Amino acid sequence: MSDADRSADGPTVTIARSPIAAPEPLVPHRGWEVSGRRSAAALTITDLTPLAKVAVRAPMDGAVQRALGAPFGRAARDGAPALDGTLVVGSGPGEWLVLAPVGTAGEVREQLAGIVTEAGEFGTVVDLTHGRALLRLRGEASADLLAKVCAVDLSDAVTPDGAAFRSSVANLVTDVVRDDAGGVRSYLLHCERSSGQYLAAALLDAGAEFGIDVDGFRDPGI
Amino acid sequence: MMLLPCPWCGPRNASEFRYVGETGPRPDPTTATPEQWRRHLYFHANPRGWVRESWYHRAGCRRYFAAERHTATNEVRSSGGHS
Repeated sequence: MSDADRSADGPTVTIARSPIAAPEPLVPHRGWEVSGRRSAAALTITDLTPLAKVAVRAPMDGAVQRALGAPFGRAARDGAPALDGTLVVGSGPGEWLVLAPVGTAGEVREQLAGIVTEAGEFGTVVDLTHGRALLRLRGEASADLLAKVCAVDLSDAVTPDGAAFRSSVANLVTDVVRDDAGGVRSYLLHCERSSGQYLAAALLDAGAEFGIDVDGFRDPGI
Repeated sequence: MMLLPCPWCGPRNASEFRYVGETGPRPDPTTATPEQWRRHLYFHANPRGWVRESWYHRAGCRRYFAAERHTATNEVRSSGGHS
């Protein structure tokens, strides 16, 4: 333990918190304070902010896109061999968001920087982990909930599993990814950190009629 | 609700966009006089009818694109493609 980790009151632990207030019990998880609450509700909302989030920008339809394996509007799991365990989201034209397990942002950023360098294209790789908030809605009613606050057609024909788009959700610019988990309809919602608490509260409010409940963080989260 | 056809994201609610303004040919920066620049930047025809204009998809792809809109009916005739 370094001197920086000691205080007059004894040892302390460096910990990061999500902008979204977490329900009790609070448990530490790889340097983050997360909720250990468990819910068996049919529709749940989970704060996935601790996940590593890395943004990539490069020319669209180029070598970087081929290496990442996700075109604009689609999300791909384990898209590249170097990116095992990650979810690559084509969040905009020439813009990607890579989600990875908690605490791996540094490694993932290095891997992505290597991909961009190898492709020989002008691009940027930025770690946004502590600058953004991420939520997961899970349950068959999640589309009905989202339809109340988002104007995009959420039917299977338009946004099937693996679809990604950016739009206004509860009047907030949000990246939405349809990422079904275990055969259950699920959505990831990604927004600016400072808007995270608002988005969570707006979704809890809109989901009240569907019996939404808060579920704590479960590793790996994606 | 008014729908605008974003060439990247498809039809979206107009509230997701920022109106940029009428588009027209840009003066040559090497020869244009201040008067011509002022006319290009601040003076618009503002007709009652079809106008070609630029929009910014702030809540989506964050790209600019051109569209033709009828100022009386708000009918959008074509999307001008990527820009």
